Amino acid sequence: MSKRVLIVDDALFMRTMLRDIFEAAGWEVVAEAEDGKQAIIGYQEHQPDLVTMDIVMPEMGGIPTLKIIINADPLARVVVCSAVGHRNLIMDAISAGAKDFIVKPFQPKQVLDVVERVISE
Amino acid sequence: MDSAKFREMFLTEATEHVEQMIAMLVQLDADPEDRDGIDALFRNAHSIKGMAATMEHNTTAKLAHRLEDRLDKCRKRGNIDGNEIDWLLEATDLIELLLNDIRNERPERDVADFMATTPVTTSAMAEPTTNSVATPTSDVSLPRVIKLQLKSDVVAPGARLLVLLKHLSAIGTVVDSTPTPAELLELESPHQLSVRIVSDLDPEQLRQGLQKYQEIETITFPASATGPKPQQRKTPAKTVRVSTELLDHLISLTGELITNRYRLQGGVDKSNWQEIDAGVGQLARLVKNLHHHVLQVRMVSLEALAGRLTRTVHDLSRSNGKTVSLQVEGATIELDRTIVEALTDPLVHMVRNAIDHGIDVSGTICIKAWREKDQIHIQVSDDGNGIDIEKVKEQALKQGLLAPSQVKTARRYDLLQMICQPGFSTRDSVSETSGRGVGMDVVKTAVEQVGGILTIESPPDKGARITLKLPISLAIVRVLMVECDGAKMALPITRVAQTVEISPDEVQSSGKQLMIEHQKELLPMLSLRKILNIPKRAQHDPIPIVITEVLGRKIALVVDRLVGQQEVFVQRLPEPFDQVRGSSGATILGDGEIVFLLDLQSLFEHRKRCAAE
Repeated sequence: MSKRVLIVDDALFMRTMLRDIFEAAGWEVVAEAEDGKQAIIGYQEHQPDLVTMDIVMPEMGGIPTLKIIINADPLARVVVCSAVGHRNLIMDAISAGAKDFIVKPFQPKQVLDVVERVISE
Repeated sequence: MDSAKFREMFLTEATEHVEQMIAMLVQLDADPEDRDGIDALFRNAHSIKGMAATMEHNTTAKLAHRLEDRLDKCRKRGNIDGNEIDWLLEATDLIELLLNDIRNERPERDVADFMATTPVTTSAMAEPTTNSVATPTSDVSLPRVIKLQLKSDVVAPGARLLVLLKHLSAIGTVVDSTPTPAELLELESPHQLSVRIVSDLDPEQLRQGLQKYQEIETITFPASATGPKPQQRKTPAKTVRVSTELLDHLISLTGELITNRYRLQGGVDKSNWQEIDAGVGQLARLVKNLHHHVLQVRMVSLEALAGRLTRTVHDLSRSNGKTVSLQVEGATIELDRTIVEALTDPLVHMVRNAIDHGIDVSGTICIKAWREKDQIHIQVSDDGNGIDIEKVKEQALKQGLLAPSQVKTARRYDLLQMICQPGFSTRDSVSETSGRGVGMDVVKTAVEQVGGILTIESPPDKGARITLKLPISLAIVRVLMVECDGAKMALPITRVAQTVEISPDEVQSSGKQLMIEHQKELLPMLSLRKILNIPKRAQHDPIPIVITEVLGRKIALVVDRLVGQQEVFVQRLPEPFDQVRGSSGATILGDGEIVFLLDLQSLFEHRKRCAAE
């Protein structure tokens, strides 16, 4: 059975790019969310194997969102996505329970290395 | 890792495990096929091993590992035999000594001799003899150092190292790391991480797990620096374990106090007396409640102590070839931690005395604890020979504690108390365990230091019975306030039998001594003024009197005025006032007045000694 992922990002461009990378590698994208609220609803509904979460989003950002998700499901695997400049945000996200991180701009191989490793642990 | 902070936690927990092990081993002696018991022992040993290894107390860890190994065999076999129990008890004692070394910041003692021993199993199901050689102990999980170097082009290296640190925490216990997680957040772009980790995985397995991270350039396992790191000498604070439930309760009470403060403030602002009155009522209830719960923090049950005594009885009856059983009643009774700690050695000694001197071949020692008003009574009794009063007399004469003229008139109570004199022994030859070292004098001193009273009874042919009457808590005591020459003084309520007021007509005299009749008993009347060397005052009518017990004798203590009962917070007197005879502490009343606690016992003992000299 293919692995199921929920993609959270406020930019359609990024979501599409990630979807392409995942689908090319045989993953199933169960849903896309463009903000924290949708992400939480999507997680509850689909219970995906993995979530990619943009850190900087309007309204509810990635860190509070991942905290809520992990609080509800301590085993949730959340990988955060962020620009290199947001070093401290990445740190905060990891401290908050993110399993790993991907730095924009993405290299498909780099994304898959990270998510495969997270899913195998 | 902040070792000073963790050390106390480690010591507390490890000691609890040791206590549980001792109690369980003794139980298993009676029921050697109790699988749950063996499992519990195994878990105790395992926990001690893990904690000791984390703290780098390697000797303790190795010894605990030895125990774990042996218990694992018992577990697989489904039983434990007598020799194993003795061996394990010995090992548990050694762990206790090692913990003491750690507590006192000494290097752990050498236990190589013990490590070379193996219990001789006589059990028919004993395992094959391959285990007669001490098992190698290199496989104990001691912290291992892992050094990671990131590739130079890794993006967000700090975050990467944080992820790696989390990965390692998931597969083992990370003792510490350089940089620490907090430092990782601060550093500009760290590329190296050194981690000390305790893990069941071997270096190869660790390496395999880490190789999934392409960001890592090199993984090395430098040899751990031998010996413990030089530690800063810090005196660890005494800590107390508190249940979270109790803590939550304290917090919620504090919250209510804050609300109460605003209620009172509001009442004051509006000059609303009704509201202030209600607020003060609420405050009184809250403070009482808070006080009650705060005291509980210091309370511990006698269970751990009972376990230790069970052990003492087990060991001594074996070494003396006697059959002694121990009955414990009321072990769930709770007492102030300090009192329990202070009583451990004295109780062990009393039990030893009972086995050594009291019980001939077989018998029962009974330890009973119960609550009586504001006191806890602990009684140690045995059904042995009791105390030979004639021998006590003989010895007391020999040591000059008793004048020849007193031999006939001496009261049984006073004679029995004499065994608490330093150096007193009715035994000619000192036995290995008692009769030497800690004597009854030390027991008595320990009991009195925590504000208790010790009484000895030994009805002819009925064994010996020693009762300790102890305060529940050291800090807050209910006292009777009396007044003498314009100064208030307090008597612990535990020492007060009754207060009465009598008219001068009721005073009788017997020779020079004034007496009163109280409950059909003639009691000597003693004036507090006289005891404290304060000039007499004109006789009052009625005469206020406190009936109290001093040196085992009831007396009628004449005071100037009976003030009333009150709960007070007793503080020890600071130097040099702690040298003042006759006072065991002081308290400050609501209005700032200082009131001393009278220690009549010591005042009388002093007077007796002065009279004798």
